[in-house]
Amino acid sequence: MKSTITTVIAAADNAARFPSASDLESVRGSLERAAARMEAAEKLAANYDAVAQEAVDAVYKVNPQGNLGRQPRVCDTEGKDKCKRDFVHYLRLINYALVTGGTGPLDELAINGAKEVYAALSIDAATYVYGLNTLRNRGCAPRDMSAQALAEYNAALDYVANSLG
Amino acid sequence: MLDAFSRAATAADASGSFIGGTQIATLKTFVAEGNKRLDAVKAISTSASCIVTDSVAGMICENPGLTSPGGNCYSNRRMAACLRDGEIVLRYVAYALLAGDSSVLQDRCLNGLKETYAALGVPTGSMARAVAIMKACAVAHINGTNGDRGPQATNNTINLGTTAKGDCSALASEAASYFDVVSTSIS
Repeated sequence: MKSTITTVIAAADNAARFPSASDLESVRGSLERAAARMEAAEKLAANYDAVAQEAVDAVYKVNPQGNLGRQPRVCDTEGKDKCKRDFVHYLRLINYALVTGGTGPLDELAINGAKEVYAALSIDAATYVYGLNTLRNRGCAPRDMSAQALAEYNAALDYVANSLG
Repeated sequence: MLDAFSRAATAADASGSFIGGTQIATLKTFVAEGNKRLDAVKAISTSASCIVTDSVAGMICENPGLTSPGGNCYSNRRMAACLRDGEIVLRYVAYALLAGDSSVLQDRCLNGLKETYAALGVPTGSMARAVAIMKACAVAHINGTNGDRGPQATNNTINLGTTAKGDCSALASEAASYFDVVSTSIS
């Protein structure tokens, strides 16, 4: 799984050299920003259930059918549960991305192949984009987390929404 | 290749759980102590040649047969190969220390090394001895107890008072553990 540190090490290893001063500088830069990312990841881990529920509620508010598809899902408990499960999945990977400081976990475990899977299952990815955008606009600093942490969290949400859209 | 952060993500993903609580606390410590880690990596990297040469020379001093005709370091070509291998091991230990995880050392250096040495007839006991000396040397550089020469993680030669000296003992023992991984893997 890629992160700033592993990328630096891989580059140094390709040149068969010890970590240079500039390698250490770039790791230091990443560590400096890491405190905010850890804060965002921690807050998200503590509150992911409520956050995912908010996204599900927003989706079902504009579209009582839930996901649009070949066999439209009715607005019952099962549909909502599955919708929430998917949002929790995305939030969990965003939690990993915040911890590692790169989009590697999201790319490897969600985004690669997402379009094909949603097409095969006749699920409209726009449903998720709508939910993620809702979360994107709901976060508030300093109520939820510090401003820098919120910026990192929003960037991760944007990344997923852009990749699905 | 993993680092402390992606190790936490991989472990959490195996159980489908979020990274929170104690794991985040551990990583926060990693971030807070980050500069010490970079200093420790720097202390090893900038004195790499010295550390490697000392350890190979020490290994040979204890066992002069190595450089005698028939020994495994006899001929400059084989001595050079020995120094090169020492540097490779130290380089991967430096990477592991930077990452805070031994996977880069395992995957890219130690995987198959024992078998390679067996095929080439390299005495792994001597190699392990050189690694042990390297360990003592690297720990001294990280703790700043290597005398008054060379770059140090915690410089004890400048009189800044007792509180000015940073405590790098955690990183020194982490580095020592990576050298132990090497020893165990080739013996």
